[in-house]
Amino acid sequence: MSEINNTTIPEIATIEEIKDEIVEVKTFYFSFDGRTDGKPFTFKSGQFVMCTVFGAGEFAVSLPPSPEKDRFHLTVRKVGKVTSALHELKTGDKVGIRGPFGNGFPFDDIKGKNVIYVAGGIGLIPLRSSIMHVMQNKDKFGRILLFLGARTPQELMYQYNLNEWKAAPGFETHITVDNPVPGWDGETGFVHTLLKKADIPVKDTVAFVCGPPVMFNAVIKELTDLGFGEDCIISTLERHMKCGIGKCQHCSIGRTLVCTDGPVYTYRQIKTLGEQI
Amino acid sequence: MYIINKSQVLDIARELQKEHQVYGPVMEKETRQVMFVAVDDIAELDLSAPIPAVPPKHAVFPHFERIMSYTYDRRNKKVEIKPDYDEKPKALFGLRSCDLTGIQCLDRFYLGQEFVDEVYRNHRKKMFIVTNTCNAPFRQCFCVCTDSGPSAHEGYDLNLTDLGDQYLVEAGSEQGKKMAERLSLSKADDSHRKRKEAIVDKSVSMFDSIAKDNKAWISRVVNRVTTGLIEEKVWEYIGDQCIECGACAFVCPSCSCFNIVDPVTGIDSADRMRTWDSCSYEGYSRMAGGHNPRKPVEDRRNKRFFCKLSYSQSKKYLRPGCVGCGRCAWVCPGDIGLPNVVTYIRREIQE
Amino acid sequence: MNYKSGICTFCGTGCGHLLDVRGNAVCGVFPLQNHPVSKGRLCVRGWNVHELLNTPEKITTPLIRKNGALAEASYDEAVSYLVDNLTKYKKNSSDEIGFLASPRSSNEENYLLMKLARSVVNTNNISLDSDPGHRLSLDVMHRGTGMAGMLGSLEEIAKADFLLVVGIDITKQNPIIGSEIHMAARAGAKLVVIDTRNTQIAKLSSRFLQIRPGAYRIAMAYLAKVLVNENLADTDFIKKYTDGYDGFASSLASLKEGDVAAKTGIALGPLQEVARDLAGSNAAMVFFSSGISGFDRDTISYIYNLFVLAGKIGREGCGVNPLTGINNLQGSYDMGIAPDLLTGFQPLSDAAVQDKFNREWGVKLNSGPGKSVYELMTGGNRLKALVVVDHDESIIRNVDEISAMDFVAYIGAFQNNFMNYAHVVLPIAAYVETDGTYTNTERRVQLSKKKVEPPKDILPGWKLIADIAFRAGAKWNYGSPADVMNEIATLTPNYSGISHEKLQGTFGIKWPGGAPRFSLEGTRRKVSFVPTGTNFAVPVASEEYPILLSIGESQHYWHQNNLMKKTAIPLREYNATLLLYPQGYVAISPQNARELNVRDRFPVKVVSPYGSMEAMVQVTDKVKPNTAYVAYFVHEMVTRFFLEHKDVLKRGEDATIPVRIVKV
Ligand SMILES: Cc1cc2nc3c(=O)[nH]c(=O)nc-3n(C[C@H](O)[C@H](O)[C@H](O)COP(=O)(O)OP(=O)(O)OC[C@H]3O[C@@H](n4cnc5c(N)ncnc54)[C@H](O)[C@@H]3O)c2cc1C
Ligand code: SF4
Ligand code: SF4
Ligand code: SF4
Ligand code: FES
Repeated sequence: MSEINNTTIPEIATIEEIKDEIVEVKTFYFSFDGRTDGKPFTFKSGQFVMCTVFGAGEFAVSLPPSPEKDRFHLTVRKVGKVTSALHELKTGDKVGIRGPFGNGFPFDDIKGKNVIYVAGGIGLIPLRSSIMHVMQNKDKFGRILLFLGARTPQELMYQYNLNEWKAAPGFETHITVDNPVPGWDGETGFVHTLLKKADIPVKDTVAFVCGPPVMFNAVIKELTDLGFGEDCIISTLERHMKCGIGKCQHCSIGRTLVCTDGPVYTYRQIKTLGEQI
Repeated sequence: MYIINKSQVLDIARELQKEHQVYGPVMEKETRQVMFVAVDDIAELDLSAPIPAVPPKHAVFPHFERIMSYTYDRRNKKVEIKPDYDEKPKALFGLRSCDLTGIQCLDRFYLGQEFVDEVYRNHRKKMFIVTNTCNAPFRQCFCVCTDSGPSAHEGYDLNLTDLGDQYLVEAGSEQGKKMAERLSLSKADDSHRKRKEAIVDKSVSMFDSIAKDNKAWISRVVNRVTTGLIEEKVWEYIGDQCIECGACAFVCPSCSCFNIVDPVTGIDSADRMRTWDSCSYEGYSRMAGGHNPRKPVEDRRNKRFFCKLSYSQSKKYLRPGCVGCGRCAWVCPGDIGLPNVVTYIRREIQE
Repeated sequence: MNYKSGICTFCGTGCGHLLDVRGNAVCGVFPLQNHPVSKGRLCVRGWNVHELLNTPEKITTPLIRKNGALAEASYDEAVSYLVDNLTKYKKNSSDEIGFLASPRSSNEENYLLMKLARSVVNTNNISLDSDPGHRLSLDVMHRGTGMAGMLGSLEEIAKADFLLVVGIDITKQNPIIGSEIHMAARAGAKLVVIDTRNTQIAKLSSRFLQIRPGAYRIAMAYLAKVLVNENLADTDFIKKYTDGYDGFASSLASLKEGDVAAKTGIALGPLQEVARDLAGSNAAMVFFSSGISGFDRDTISYIYNLFVLAGKIGREGCGVNPLTGINNLQGSYDMGIAPDLLTGFQPLSDAAVQDKFNREWGVKLNSGPGKSVYELMTGGNRLKALVVVDHDESIIRNVDEISAMDFVAYIGAFQNNFMNYAHVVLPIAAYVETDGTYTNTERRVQLSKKKVEPPKDILPGWKLIADIAFRAGAKWNYGSPADVMNEIATLTPNYSGISHEKLQGTFGIKWPGGAPRFSLEGTRRKVSFVPTGTNFAVPVASEEYPILLSIGESQHYWHQNNLMKKTAIPLREYNATLLLYPQGYVAISPQNARELNVRDRFPVKVVSPYGSMEAMVQVTDKVKPNTAYVAYFVHEMVTRFFLEHKDVLKRGEDATIPVRIVKV
């Protein structure tokens, strides 16, 4: 049974800094006002929290690893009621945090392997968590490749991270956009098309895939064609979430609840959930 | 095992009332509808009333419930959160066996998985449960197929059986035994037990043949649902008839889905409310941005019956999710209550 | 017992429920199993009514506009302010004052509002704010039978062996009636659906005829003609009980059968079979709705005449059943919420009726016919003062005219955008906070008892209106809504014998006199065939405007409805559509989508000879190629596009407009 004691009542945190990423996407840096359980806040990359915007509601958001000890951040795209309310907040405002919830990425199982990331749109948000972890422990992994697709160059997120990663030795990036604008000299087309062209290790490699369902299916097809085993493809799934603790059942897919069994699944698991993703 | 005179059976509830909020079956006078409700006047309780329309689940999982309230002072950047639970222990009196099984499903789901649901635990703790054997099935009951009645086996503190002029009182827990002793109930003997057995056997024999007939089928249907082998067109046929009212989830003793909303109650205050939700609703699974993994209604119906009738879900409840109360068949405007769905799947298997 | 019985406040079905009342709050709802209409069922709206009743978005204090902003005031101040302003225009009350009543108000409140308008403010300009189209059905039923309401009975749906559903998405609009029809069909009744769209009830029917928009009238006329041609009309019935057959027969004679298939898009064979099934059935019912999403008068007349011709009225399991979308729409007309009507469809123009009201009310009524209030706002008319009760939508039409008005008063329980235009706002109690009766679509008058206290100091509507009258000098004397009902019953033959006392503990009483349905026994007059037109033209698409656009409701939620916006789960469901199509949508077929090179949610422009609007497309196989469907919730449509087409729609073309859709 879990040790978390804020399963129902959120802890209060203060927004310390807000950074604009791309249109409608901002990163919020926050720290806790003092945790009711008195314990430091720890989590695994790939986990998420339920974030309360007071007076608006609560939503699920993934928690990237933080370089700082007591300061954490969330990157949030404005899509609906609660995320819009969050975007209205200023530094100094309070939010509520429950969690962390979910299983997190299985880094222990993949030590020593090559890692491929395939992200579409804001699918980069959860994968960035994994990339950050891997980059922090680069010696434990083989080749690291990132395939990233966005609708337009303006929608490429985390430019500062991308630049930093690109510069890192042994990190290979492939970026494409669906709709280029004048001045874009990179690849165009959907992200799965990049996979064909690139030199991709298959043996001893795991692929992390995250993005909208259409992109996901296309990428899975490419990867399995390339010879990736179903256990070597890892994704994080997204579902409507209300409680985060496996009770409201909004996040159910077939036999699984994404908030407690997931959000990270292997493709083999996804295939046998018993329902469309 | 004890014995209590019929005229005194409500004394149990009166005793319970001292420390509990008592819930039990009451017939609403004007409409003659039986509801399982909180009572202050014990005399209102009616043990002979038919199965209540509303399952007792609302005592542990209310239709609409505040789980916390908070104020947020934007200017001074101050937030205060108050958990807001109802603390008084509850006693459920005169529960039917299927409904007890429903509560057991909820227990295992809310308390027995990775996390404990604090809100539910709060309702459930210090609870006292008195069940009531069904001497005859009611319209649409089929607990004999789902192994949840007509008499409770376990999970109660006291179990009552109407023997005619007296009630047989079985204690199912320490708490129950103590209560029987506190009331100085006289001991029952073997003849009473035999009478109860005869009553239960008779009750079982009175179930509709369709209910009995379905018994063997339920496990085959469970198999079928679990493996996902049911043809799409069967779900379409079922989905076409669903008007997406949500009732089947609301009246089901083991359905536990909820929604959470934060209605604003003042300039800088709001409540966090938890309300019953239903997987039949389109917005239930719709994600921000518009993607809905369960857009067609038949996918949502498929989901409900997966939840009620699959091994995977049974693992969470340690039994099938359906407890055979038949309520979803009463309330379904589309006439696709669980028994009918079993029939359709059965028809498909036979074809 | 904390569950208190009551009736659902949303649609005209009038389902019974039990509300979970704890302290002063409604915490849940449960269906009422013994209720004769709903029999233990509720729809998604009904199942979540407690969310509405808990909304903090109520009006909690009277408000008066000062320096442009609404400021708190006392009832005293607000009522005087209202009365003073109305008095200013009383001299010209027939032209300058209007009342917009709500089809959600109780009978008692609507009756008093009507009495206030006519007897105190001296104007007959009182009309319904939403869905006035039901009037067309009432006119036809009244003209034909003398009964201004649904002729059949919802309880008897199971007794019919032939059910016809025309042009209504009934499992969404009146879901529990839809359920009853579905159950009857499952039990063996023939269910025929004629609709432009492949709706849920169409999927559940034994025969679905997908008709071209605007062709309902000709289809109905043809069904009647088949009865005549094949000698299937119920001639005994016609001889014994009806008059006016010859007139109808001559209308039918002018229908050219050769045109029918092309105009309706349905082959003659299936239509003939439907006519034969209707004639051959023991008991038959037809369901449709009128108004924005429904039919014009002539189409309704054909439907009605068809059923008279087949002898399918006045018996158990039979009836012509126009449905109401809003809970007290029927009751509102019963209470005389129309410029030309007093209660129970008694014409204002009838001197004897006027005398009766003059005597009972102790006044001399203004006998000049009133006008519909929206009409008074436009076209050279100059309404100056407007009183609005519980506006039902969050969209407001004629905003320019309303904001230009000298004085606007808003009376209501829930906050509404209309308050932005009001000079004075008067809160009233919500429906569970006071006693009142509501009349459902089958004329069932049901009593809803007070269950919780209104917010502090808030008056129930009946009391507020009585206070306004008192301030204006009238001496009304009501101690409770029950007193109001007693007065209604004395003045209204249909309601005679109905009182709160009698209603208490029942599931309602149907007017007149508890009759389950329109009955041929005991009526002295004959049933009439109503006059029908012979214009069988259908709106035609042209090269320039190739797509026929029809208009209707969307889902369960009367989009942009003010009450739905105050719930959580129904709102979420409603948002599921609204968030996908924020500007609203136009449903088109996949074929048209391919031709236009658009996909779901692409923005398009809908152009007609009279105007244009922008919306997104919804691509669905529910509509046929070259037809389109727009739900009545597109903001731009309601406020502008639709108004531009008022005249076209009035001409009676089943709310169908030929349009061109272009990609933008
Ligand atoms: C594990 C997980 C991690 C996520 N991480 C991120 C992230 O890092 N950054 C980011 O921008 N978004 C993330 N999301 C998506 C984010 O939760 C939704 O965009 C958000 O809930 C939308 O809320 P809303 O109120 O603005 O939208 P509305 O459309 O108004 O939705 C209303 C409510 O529905 C529920 N809901 C709707 N869509 C979703 C959804 N996609 N996922 C979960 N609940 C939903 C929420 O309870 C929400 O409050 C994540 C989702 C999950 C499940
Ligand atoms: S599925 Fe239906 S019959 Fe089974 S327990 Fe739930 S409500 Fe009762
Ligand atoms: S009760 Fe019936 S109609 Fe309502 S949601 Fe359930 S299956 Fe659908
Ligand atoms: S059908 Fe109408 S009256 Fe019945 S529950 Fe639904 S909205 Fe309420
Ligand atoms: S979010 Fe509630 S069960 Fe997963």
